[in-house]
Amino acid sequence: MTKCPVCLRESEPSGFASLAKHLEAQADGSDSDHVRWLNQNVSRTKLGAPELTERLERFFDLKGAPLSEWIKRRFIARFYAEPAHPFVRALQHPSRATLLGYVVEHQHFLRQWVRSCAYIMARTDRPDVVLYELDNLNTEYGGTGATPAHYELLLRMGESLGVSREEILATAPLPATRAGIDGWNRIASTEPWPAALGAMHCLELIAHRDLVREGASSHYFDPGILQGTEISDAAKAFLREGYEADMGHAGQALALVERYAAELGVVPDVQAAVLRSIDLFDDYLIARLERGATFER
Amino acid sequence: MNVNFAGCALCDSTWGNVWAEVEGERRFFCCELCLRQFRNLLARVKLETGWVHLDAVEIVGDRSGRTCTASCGSGTLRVRVAFNAEGTLRQFEPF
Ligand SMILES: [Zn+2]
Ligand SMILES: [Zn+2]
Repeated sequence: MTKCPVCLRESEPSGFASLAKHLEAQADGSDSDHVRWLNQNVSRTKLGAPELTERLERFFDLKGAPLSEWIKRRFIARFYAEPAHPFVRALQHPSRATLLGYVVEHQHFLRQWVRSCAYIMARTDRPDVVLYELDNLNTEYGGTGATPAHYELLLRMGESLGVSREEILATAPLPATRAGIDGWNRIASTEPWPAALGAMHCLELIAHRDLVREGASSHYFDPGILQGTEISDAAKAFLREGYEADMGHAGQALALVERYAAELGVVPDVQAAVLRSIDLFDDYLIARLERGATFER
Repeated sequence: MNVNFAGCALCDSTWGNVWAEVEGERRFFCCELCLRQFRNLLARVKLETGWVHLDAVEIVGDRSGRTCTASCGSGTLRVRVAFNAEGTLRQFEPF
């Protein structure tokens, strides 16, 4: 069953010829999101139905590799090709403004993250998925005993850069962050749960240290900034935590996605949801930069 | 006004079907977002330079960052530009 990677509509009848027809119709109607997807993933040049169908087949084909490899390949192509995504470039040696843009928008992202993971827990019947999400939620949001949650470390990073917790929490998200939150909420609450699992946890690849070995053009940030005095101690604590936590998390999650996508027969749903999530995340990362610009002096 | 793309005036895509009058000419855009970006870019160029019309606009790059060379008579402006998801300029740096 093929599914549109933009609006997540199922193709009727199933197949890439139907998907091509849908994308063509949306492009003819000049829908920005569909045109953007075609431009970024297939071709900037309008293609006829037979060629578009063939390109889509090739694009979604796992080529005998595991689903997790396909997801990583797509993720790297968007965020870590040369040149890397503008936010990743800015984070290599981040300014105060870049880090504050990160704090203010990411606070909203993490609160949605909790909701998305809770949906997955509510909708799965697999104990290993529930346990995985519980562990993830504690790391990201709840905290465990002496270890503060990622959310708390984020707020502390903001405070260390001179913006109060009250001000951070009182700032409404930018439109792209809002659109991301709405999109992820929809995926988590309505897509098959392995697709929600894939759409959310592929995003943790952003901080994955091993991605460089798999073809990423850089790390999330220059690891050298964790030493020295280039950034505040609270910023180091936040970035170090993500650097270490996300490494295990994303890999483990993708293994679960792969297993249950196959078992439940929802590989195309996972692929579509992951691609949608990548587009939302791309815009959301730009919103961090946009917010950061408001802190530039 | 001359543009360097045969497709969408902003991104060169030939998908989509938006036609709009910009600088006195009917032009093709792949989507409303590109049209908005193009209009915002031209307005900002005029604001910065004081030019009332433009002879040519050349754009290089993609969503991750673009450079734009605008000219009017013997004047030339080169800028690094980037937009947010709504098509508003978030970067405009002459170089
Ligand atoms: Zn669609
Ligand atoms: Zn365009």
